[in-house]
Amino acid sequence: MTESQESHTGAAPLLEARGLTKDYGGTRALDSLDLAIAPGEVYCLLGPNGAGKTTTINLFLGFVAPSAGQALVAGLNVSTHDRESKRRLAYIPEQVMLYRNLSGIENLEYFAALGGQGSLRRERLVEILVEAGLDGETAGRRVSTYSKGMRQKVGIAIAIAKKADALLLDEPTSGLDPTASNEFSALVERLRNRGVAVLMATHDLFRAKDTGTRVGIMHYGRLVTELSTAEIGHADLERVYLEHVSDNGGPR
Amino acid sequence: MTARTVLKNEWRLLMADRPLKIALGLFVVLLGYALTNGVVWLRFQERTVEATTSGNVERASALRQELEAIEAGGQPSSPFADPRSPRVLGGPSGSHTAVLAPGPLTALAIGQSDLLPYYYDVNIYTNEASFQQNGEVENPLNLMVGRFDLTFAVVYLLPLLVLALSFNVLSEEREQGTLALTLSQPVSARSVVTVKLAFRALVVAGIVLGVSLLGALATGGFGSPGRILLWSVTVVAYSLFWFALAAWVNALGRSSAWNATVLVGAWLVLVVVLPAAINAAAGLLHPLPSRVEMVTAQREASNDAVNRRSELLARYLEDHPEMAEGVVADEPGLGALSWAATDAVNGRLEEVAAEHDARRAEQTALVRRYRFLSPALLAQEALLDAAGTGDARFADFQSQVRVFAEQWREFFVPAIMADEQMNAGVLADVPTFSLVDGDSADPACRATAPLAVLAGLLALIGAAAGVRLGRVRGAD
Repeated sequence: MTESQESHTGAAPLLEARGLTKDYGGTRALDSLDLAIAPGEVYCLLGPNGAGKTTTINLFLGFVAPSAGQALVAGLNVSTHDRESKRRLAYIPEQVMLYRNLSGIENLEYFAALGGQGSLRRERLVEILVEAGLDGETAGRRVSTYSKGMRQKVGIAIAIAKKADALLLDEPTSGLDPTASNEFSALVERLRNRGVAVLMATHDLFRAKDTGTRVGIMHYGRLVTELSTAEIGHADLERVYLEHVSDNGGPR
Repeated sequence: MTARTVLKNEWRLLMADRPLKIALGLFVVLLGYALTNGVVWLRFQERTVEATTSGNVERASALRQELEAIEAGGQPSSPFADPRSPRVLGGPSGSHTAVLAPGPLTALAIGQSDLLPYYYDVNIYTNEASFQQNGEVENPLNLMVGRFDLTFAVVYLLPLLVLALSFNVLSEEREQGTLALTLSQPVSARSVVTVKLAFRALVVAGIVLGVSLLGALATGGFGSPGRILLWSVTVVAYSLFWFALAAWVNALGRSSAWNATVLVGAWLVLVVVLPAAINAAAGLLHPLPSRVEMVTAQREASNDAVNRRSELLARYLEDHPEMAEGVVADEPGLGALSWAATDAVNGRLEEVAAEHDARRAEQTALVRRYRFLSPALLAQEALLDAAGTGDARFADFQSQVRVFAEQWREFFVPAIMADEQMNAGVLADVPTFSLVDGDSADPACRATAPLAVLAGLLALIGAAAGVRLGRVRGAD
């Protein structure tokens, strides 16, 4: 990649990594990652456990500081523009954990307000939750009664309410049944169509192929290859993946 | 916006948390019980003060009537209680009771008022032994552990409530997974934790100050707004110290169970162990002379004095030549002989009392030097000073009573030495005690040092917590 990166589509990237590196003690968790994700792109990071997928997401969130390089959100360096970059981001972890004693509506109201959306009216909050796939009755119930899929939908609702430019997903469909996974993918697709840039870390090759516009395969902290999902079939993706993650790189 | 958002969410979480609501309710009940205890004690003290004050008036009035009756040609009711005798008029039957009115906020802090005498019967025989005795009958257990008043609840129980509300203020968010979602928003852990703790501080301070103000309102404490302010500042500073400690422990990034263990340990050390250790060290290093020693000295001196009355009278007149006029050394009156013996006993008792006072002063100095180690001791001192029931006010009262007892003796002893008779006319000139409550002027001044140290500790721990919280990200 060049210094002034452009995304795959040519548009200014909303998520960008420039030589992004993270060391934990003597272990390199992420090694000189260069990446650019444009509006409307869904970039899926594939790789075995410890490949550096979650570290990449944590670096974009500012949860950890880079050892070298930069993570940029809409051109803003996360290290120096923590709040501004977070205002443009939404994050859905593997387990969306909410306040169990509060309802979905109350949780959404809280996180949307924290995200800078002010105090939304109850009707608007219900609308957003319904848009994210929850029915009105469920939205008013305590989260302690929710399934994982329902909590993921609240996570999506937070992203919708926040009007985020970029969405970071860390294995969001892990543990969801196929129906819930499909619903989730449909929601991501809807956000993508609105111009949201999505970076999704996943182990699910099938979903990466179906949901993503590009996939990047990581191994031992390095991005070893990038593929366009439009140009590759499910079987080919699996073959390429297995080729690259066979244990020939070794930890550094 | 963030502060309002977090405050609103905290309120919802509190309302949805039944065990926490029960804990808060229990605390309110305990505070109510503590306040009731304080009010009951205050009423008891007020009744005692009223009774002793009216006793002074009744005694003076009865003596005046008897003296006037005798001057009109009547006989004294008893030849051994002739009010014309200065030994009778200035003795126990004519004594004046010096009273310390309850402190302005006694209902909030009983303090030392159930341990230290707040009235003394002053007469010519008042001596150091009188100041070493407490005539009140009191349950020894009450004296040992103190009464369950608002000060006790604030010093001992309030930290436990603060810790129950805040030991997991951050660790729980981390453990239940909400921290990552929170910190993916444009907010810092420091600001979120600060607002969360501020909300809890508002709840705790609101409850404690609400009950305190209610108590002050019910017992006329609003006459001393400065004291109420000082009380409130101390409660808030002490609460904030514990909140800051909880914030710092949370910022270390350990589990809720670890936080709870460390914070309860800190409570045990700072509130229970250290104050007890400091008191024990004071008693061990500077033991008070036994009261038996005082009683023995009094008896020995009395026996000796009875045996050597004439010799003692001669020595007394050498020491007090102004008294020699009117006394015929070869034929001393019974009063002169008796007074010389009393004076000798007093002298011996003063020696024992001086030793006692010196040791007590050493003990106090040691406790005062090391009280800075325990925020509980600092808070207690400031609260008692605010309420007017601390050591200082009682010491001030006792020293004023000593001066008054001296004035009393100076009024009656010359007449005793001269074997003069007194009449109703002198009653108007008999000294009366009126307390100059120096304490009321400077409780804030005295509470400055403990409050400043408390504020310093708070700032130190708060800053350390702030620095650590500033480093908290979402993925640690």
